[in-house]
Amino acid sequence: MSEEQRSLAATPVPCQDVQGDERWMSLHDGFVSYSKGKEPEVLFVGDSLIQLMHQFGIWRELFSPLHSLNFGIGGDATQHVLWRLINGELDSISPKVVVLWVGTNNHGHTPEQICEGIMAIVQVIKDKVPHAHTLVLSLLPRGKAPNPLRERNAKVNKLVQTALLSLPHASFLDVDSGFVQPDGTISHQDMYDYLHLTPQGYQSVCEPLHKTITALLDKPAEN
Amino acid sequence: MNGDELNPAAVAKPVEDVQGDGRWMSQHIRFVQECKDAEPDVLFVGDSMVQLMQQYEIWREFFSPLHALNFGIGGDTTCNVLWRLQNGELENIRPKVVVLWVGTNNYEHTAEQVAGGIVAIGQELISRLPKAKIVVLGLLPRGERPNALREKNTAVNGFLRSWLPRLGQAQFLDVSREYVHSDGTINPRDMFDFLHLTASGYRTMAKPLSDLLLQILEETPEERRASLV
Ligand SMILES: [Ca+2]
Repeated sequence: MSEEQRSLAATPVPCQDVQGDERWMSLHDGFVSYSKGKEPEVLFVGDSLIQLMHQFGIWRELFSPLHSLNFGIGGDATQHVLWRLINGELDSISPKVVVLWVGTNNHGHTPEQICEGIMAIVQVIKDKVPHAHTLVLSLLPRGKAPNPLRERNAKVNKLVQTALLSLPHASFLDVDSGFVQPDGTISHQDMYDYLHLTPQGYQSVCEPLHKTITALLDKPAEN
Repeated sequence: MNGDELNPAAVAKPVEDVQGDGRWMSQHIRFVQECKDAEPDVLFVGDSMVQLMQQYEIWREFFSPLHALNFGIGGDTTCNVLWRLQNGELENIRPKVVVLWVGTNNYEHTAEQVAGGIVAIGQELISRLPKAKIVVLGLLPRGERPNALREKNTAVNGFLRSWLPRLGQAQFLDVSREYVHSDGTINPRDMFDFLHLTASGYRTMAKPLSDLLLQILEETPEERRASLV
């Protein structure tokens, strides 16, 4: 069972169109065709936390000026991002920095399996875009009150941070500037549904993220 | 539409916490709490289409000034909204208008059942808020290209158009045609994932909706007119 599940988080698979409007594949196809002829310096890839960032003013303020593309799809787990990157989304671009934010939707997977999925994505990026630096963002806490998914995400972060230490072409960025308040709760002012960020929540994530990205862009490639 | 008790889309049901972080119930409890502290003139209730609206500038521009509360929860079906309204989200408030936008997540139900579920929510609102007007928003098309869910949502809107007048104080606002281009596609500039609206997608519907709300708010309250004298 655990071997089988381990393979699931790190085995590329397209998202199944259970609803019947093929939105996931439309988004993927759109990313592939949109990226042709583009020369992004920065690629953002991941789940809804990446996708929604694109919808708010902070994106135009901080990331559009860096020549960024946003390949976020709501609901994606590691295995879905893995499939997208293997199937065309990295074929015609060579960003200098790839920002990866995925894993909180890997329901039913252990922290080890999720870490394995994230590391598999980091490897695909290395294979497809050898000169890019991958910046893996920490999974955020979720739920208004303490709960097992918060603990799971914290464990994923520890594992990923350790696993990335030995890789010169990738690093970990903790983007949780204190979403959990002293009483253990998360405010809806930061996460409107205790998972997705408000514009205010994005502000506190994106300012340090922007600093880190610009530092990476200024630095000559290490590899 | 004979017998709502036979319609699965008209059965009140909370969302089961399958993910394990209790987020749905936390949001519901927050809304119930907000009712104790606020005196909204307008209440928005529904799914992510309602919820996301509050995250964009248009909310502060068009709807906050009307004294609006937003009780949207992503993923909600008619069943979930019905449960919330029966379990505290209408207590202690007397909004003059309720804006209802839900139904696109009712995957297990037919168009007729979804429309029946929406009408059932309308009936619930009327029984709890006899003086309030109700604005039901038509379901939007979805998916980049024509697909079965678009047809279903169009059919839901058709049923609503003919059934809602029976509720008396409900109005139907259907902006669904604004989002489909002549070649049948939906542009990600309007719906970033071919379902949820972008800031500019919301802008398309915010003006007609706020015009309608202003018109209703001006027409209704005798007490407000009296206070102006
Ligand atoms: Ca490293």
